[in-house]
Parts: sequence; structure tokens; C-alpha cells
Amino acid sequence: MNDMQWVPIGSEPLPPPLPPTGVDFTGDRSEFRKMVTKGAMLELVTFGFYRFWLVTDIRRHLWTHTAVDGDAAEYTGRAKELLIGFLFALAILVPIYLAYFLVGIEFERWQGFASTPLFISFYAFGQFAIFRARRYRLTRTVWRGVRFWMDGSGWAYSFRAMAWGLLVFLTLGLALPWRAAALERYKMRHTHYGDLRGDFEGDGWTFFKRGWWLWLLSPIAILIFPLAPFFYAEFKAREWRWWLDGIRIGGVSLSSELPHDAFYGLYWKVIGWWILLSVIFSAYMGGSAVLVSQLSGLSAEQMFEPGNGAKGIPMVVAMVVGYFAVALAINIVMRVYLQRDLWAKVLETVEVHNIAAAADVRGSGELASALGEGFADGLDVAGF
Amino acid sequence: MSDVSAEIPAQSAKPTIFFDGVSSRKRQVTLALGDALEIVEEGGTPVRWDYADIRRADSPAGVLRLACMTAPPLARLEIRDAALAADVTVHCMRLDEHQTSRRGVAKIVGWSVAAAVSIVCVVLFGVPLAADRLAPLVPKPIERRIGDASEVQVKAIFGGKACEDPAGKAAFTKLVNSLRDAAGLDDDSMTAGVLPTPVPNAFALPGGKVYLLRGLLDKAQSPDEIAGILAHELGHLKHYDNMRGLIYNGGTSFLIGLLFGDVTGSSAVIFASRSVVEASYSREAETAADTFAIEIMHKLGRSPKPAAELMFRITGKEGGSALSTILASHPLTEDRLARMTREDRPASGPPLLTDKEWQSLKLICGSGKI
Repeated sequence: MNDMQWVPIGSEPLPPPLPPTGVDFTGDRSEFRKMVTKGAMLELVTFGFYRFWLVTDIRRHLWTHTAVDGDAAEYTGRAKELLIGFLFALAILVPIYLAYFLVGIEFERWQGFASTPLFISFYAFGQFAIFRARRYRLTRTVWRGVRFWMDGSGWAYSFRAMAWGLLVFLTLGLALPWRAAALERYKMRHTHYGDLRGDFEGDGWTFFKRGWWLWLLSPIAILIFPLAPFFYAEFKAREWRWWLDGIRIGGVSLSSELPHDAFYGLYWKVIGWWILLSVIFSAYMGGSAVLVSQLSGLSAEQMFEPGNGAKGIPMVVAMVVGYFAVALAINIVMRVYLQRDLWAKVLETVEVHNIAAAADVRGSGELASALGEGFADGLDVAGF
Repeated sequence: MSDVSAEIPAQSAKPTIFFDGVSSRKRQVTLALGDALEIVEEGGTPVRWDYADIRRADSPAGVLRLACMTAPPLARLEIRDAALAADVTVHCMRLDEHQTSRRGVAKIVGWSVAAAVSIVCVVLFGVPLAADRLAPLVPKPIERRIGDASEVQVKAIFGGKACEDPAGKAAFTKLVNSLRDAAGLDDDSMTAGVLPTPVPNAFALPGGKVYLLRGLLDKAQSPDEIAGILAHELGHLKHYDNMRGLIYNGGTSFLIGLLFGDVTGSSAVIFASRSVVEASYSREAETAADTFAIEIMHKLGRSPKPAAELMFRITGKEGGSALSTILASHPLTEDRLARMTREDRPASGPPLLTDKEWQSLKLICGSGKI
């Protein structure tokens, strides 16, 4: 595959179109699992501060094991940047929270619960953060010694997201495909690889045609709960495929044959783990209650009686320990299935067309700060 | 640094690729390991990298990817031949200097634990102290504004407007005024009212607002019962409990949120730890307000016991599990009843309301059931 690359471009009259190249993901699953397990434990020990390092390690793993046309990408972001971005974001968010509080009081004085719409301003801020966080991640993405980068304005994006969001709300979700297309167009048109400019050619109508019946059937999923994961998996697979099909960077285009049922297994595995962990947790709680009551010589009823508060403490401790263990396990399960496996599953279906257009791209673009990631973290809207 | 490799450009079966960090052009190169690493492209000028400046970059298995501190930051050399990679690795002494080591991780853990401990200390000691000191200093106008805002909300929840029956209102004002004088609250703007809702409760809002809910009035059998409850609420005003609670809640939820960040599922932890911390804090405030109510009632020559009996009539016995005791925001009613019973004294002062006034107070929201 590599050798194809070395045909000098444009030197022959009308070369036959090159076959599309694939994207290879070579990451070792058990290596990822070990990394995430260790990371989750450290996250617990550090009260969550390790998340910056873990997220960076996950991205480094996924990026470096993803090879396009035989050349692996690289993630050059570092955890310290994320930590500093987070601290900066806090310094900005704290006065905003305060102002929100004070303005909220004025609104409430005027009319009860009038300040509820103010909450929407946080949603707008979240959209801004999503855009800026994407910019950070892209500028840390390097392939063949040239980085991706982004221009455009986070506030302009946020405004579009809000306006489209209102339309989606008014149409009960029917406008969702057009919202996705418009936002993706904005993001991709401001995305660059060196001096190549990105574009997004997916349109809302195509997406709508692929998923409208899911929208119609969604009330059924609410009634019959076990159907919900199927519906969600269907929707996500269709969304991914539509998204990948639309991506263009310079003359390079992507396409994907992601099957509509690609994610069924993933979601059910996560649900299976979740049920298993809940069962284990209940068994553990029951077991520790019996153990505590035997050790302290109290019956279960006595243990929960008033005045025995101090004797109830071992039970509370056991509960907290159990809770943390379950949170940790769920953390690992989510990351392995919904980040690593999903990534691998999607990538194996991707085809890259006309990669030769990216054979000699001039590097450009400035590094973006991690402030956006900090906001996203502070507002809980972060992706990975 | 063997002479052999210094003289002859290292040859390998698999190609060595160089990206110069300026363009994405893939250059097939050969390496010469002299006193510096020389990267030679056929027909191009060789690039020299000092061994001391070479660092390892992330790469998939089977590829050694190198960067150089003095080259353009994205320049990468990819060596795919294992023997050649090993050869180059031997020369580069500071290849992994920039990676997070075991010591680096220990440092992260250490600092995080220190940060967590200091946040916990601030939550347990700093914030209550700050709340105690700051609450009395909050300017009256701000306090009143916050009170106005919550008043609008409360009225929206509990049936719109305060009850207006003139005779009942006169009786209520008389009761509240005598309590206020005894409490020594000099707040001129103090307002009090009865709201038409079946919920049996009473509360104080910032800015000197005391509200009695009709449900409580319906269950009450004597003016002393209501007086004790109102005295308790005045205690909250006297101690600035609203503002203290506000500062305290805001501070702790911010700090605990900061501490846990976004560990998946952390919101449950935040909720749990907050409710434990806050419950103990508000229990202290409730106990202090009870103490205040006992003082006021004694000052007026009445017993505080009827108020506790009224509470007991409403809640019944509360003590359940150890957990709910730890989480309870109020002291248990039976404990409060016991305390008020200890403080029970025969009446030495005049009744707070005449029978006629008491009857009209009971009818302040009209006679109909809600």
C-alpha cells in the first residue's frame, strides 16, 4: 500500500484512480484495559485529579494505533495542559457562577422561577466549550509531521447550536438531522490539515431518511425498555456512518460501510456488565450486613435502630467502599467498550479516497490552548 | 559508537521514513550514526540531530518514532527495522527523559491527596467559619433582596397570597410583635404572614420574613404552641441562619464539586457527602434556634413544651435507622420534645392571646377547609 504512495503526482497523464486505502487500528485491547484499570484506580486515589493524565493516555493510545495509509497518527497533547486549562476555566467560571446567582435573584424577585431560562445561558456556554475543546484536540493531532488545526469562532458556533436547538425543540426533534448537518458543516469548514481545508458534504435530508422511523418509534422504546438500547445503537450507527461519509479534507474524502447493527453488541455488553455489577454490589451489601451484625452481635434490626448510630458506622463504611468499587468498575467498562471498542469498530469500516491529495501538504496553524477543555470539564460537557 | 556504523550508512530491509515537520511529504531516508544522527535523503541535504536532543514520540508497536528538540517540533523520524532501532536507541541517552515516570505518577498522587485533604479541611472547618463570620456582615439590602426573591417562589408554591382576615391578622400581628420584642429583633422591615396551604410547617426567610403555613395552625390547640414555633423561626433570623446556610451550601457544593470533578458517577458521591455534611450543620442551627425559642418563651413567662408537642403530633416518632439519623436535617422530634419538657415551667406570664383572639387567628384563612 505504501508503495502506491510514491507514484509522483501529476507526472503521468490521467493516472488510473487509486483504490481507496483503509484505516488500521492496531491497538492491543488488553494493553488498553490495563491502562484504563490503572488509571481508574489512580483517579480514585487522587479524588479525580488523575483524570487529566488518564484522558491524555487514552487519546495517545487511540491516536498512535490509528494508521491512515500506513502511517500512524500521534497525539501531542499533555495532561499538564489540561490541568492548567481546567484551573484557568475555574478562574473564569467562578465569577460567572456568582453573577448567575445574583442575576437569578433579581429575576426571582420579579417573578417566581423567572430565572429558569438563565440556565440556558450555561447550555450556550457548554456549546462554546465543545467547540473550543475540539479545537484543542485537533491541534494536538499530528499525521505525517503536520498537525490539524481549526479557526472559526466558538461563540458563532454556540449561536448556531442554540438557534438550531430551538428549532429542534419546536419540531419535537424532527429538525435534528439538519441541526447536525449545519453544525458539522461549520466545524469541518473551519478544520484544516496543514494547508488543506476541510468540508462536510453530508446533508440533513440523507440523515433524516436513514433515521426518521427511529424517531417515530422512539415512544415505543420508552414503553418497552429493553428495546431502547437497540434503538439507540441503530441511531448511533446510522449517525456515525452519515457523519463519516460526509467528511472531506482537501481532495481527500472518507466513506464508511458501518452496518446499522454494528453497536448492538457493544451496548448490550455494557448493560450486561452493569447488571452483573449491580448484582455483585447487592450481594456484597447483603454479605457485609450479615458480617457486621455477626461481628457486633447485633441483629439487622438493632443495627438500624436509633441510638445505635455509632454501631452503624461499619455498615456505612462498607457501603462507601462498595460504591467506589462499583463506580471504578463501571468506569473501566465504559471506557473499554464505548471508547476503545467503538473506536476500533468504526475505524475498520472506514475507507479513505484519494489520499494522494495529502501527500505533500504544507504544515500551518497555531496550537490552541486547553482552556476549552477546561470549560468542557467544568461544565461536564466533555467528550473524549 | 562503533566505527562500523559510523562509516557505513546503516542499511535495512524496511524503509526508514522521515517527515521534516514542514510538509507532510514522506521521505525515504538512510541513517548515518556518527557523532550525531545524520538523516540522509537521496538528493537532499542531510539533516543532523544531536543524540542528546532526540526524544521518543508515541508510536505503534514495531516502529521507533523520534523527535528532536532542536528540529521543527513536528519533525519525525520513523525507524521500522528493529536492529536499526536498537542501534539508534543505544546512542540516545536521553530518549525517555520527558515521559511521565513512576516518580511522576507518585508526585501526581501526592499532590492530589494534599489538595483533597486541604479541600476537605476547608469544607469541614473553613466554610462554616467563613459562613459564621460573613453572614452577619451581609448588607441588609442584599439580604432583603434574596428574601424577596425566595418569598416570590414560596408564595408561588404555597397558594399565592397570604391570608387576609382582619381580626385574625390583628391577632397574628399581636403574637408576632410580642415575640419580636422579647427576642430583641430590631428589624423594622420584619414581615410575617399565614399562607393558605394544608402543609403543616413554618419557616423564616432572609430579610426578616416569617411564614406560618395554615396546616400547622389547623393542628395547633393553643397560642403557646404557635408561639413556640414562631420563636424558633425568629431564632433562625436572629442567628442569620439563612445567609449562613446560603454561604455554607454554596461554598461546600462548589468545593466538593471541584474535588470530585467528573469521575463517572461522582454526582451521587457529591450528593451523599453534601447531605451528611449539611445535615449536621443545619442540625446545629436547629438546636440553636430551639435554645433561642426556649429563652424567648421563658422570658414571656410561657412554657416551650406545647410547641414540641405540636411538632410531635405532626411528625410522630421519627427515629428510624442509624442512616436516617445521620442524614436528618432536624434534631429528632422526640429528642426535641424531651428537651422542651425538661424546660417546662408553669406559666408565670399572661396568656399571649385571649381566647377570642386565638379563635380569630385560627380562622385567618377563612373557615373553609382547603
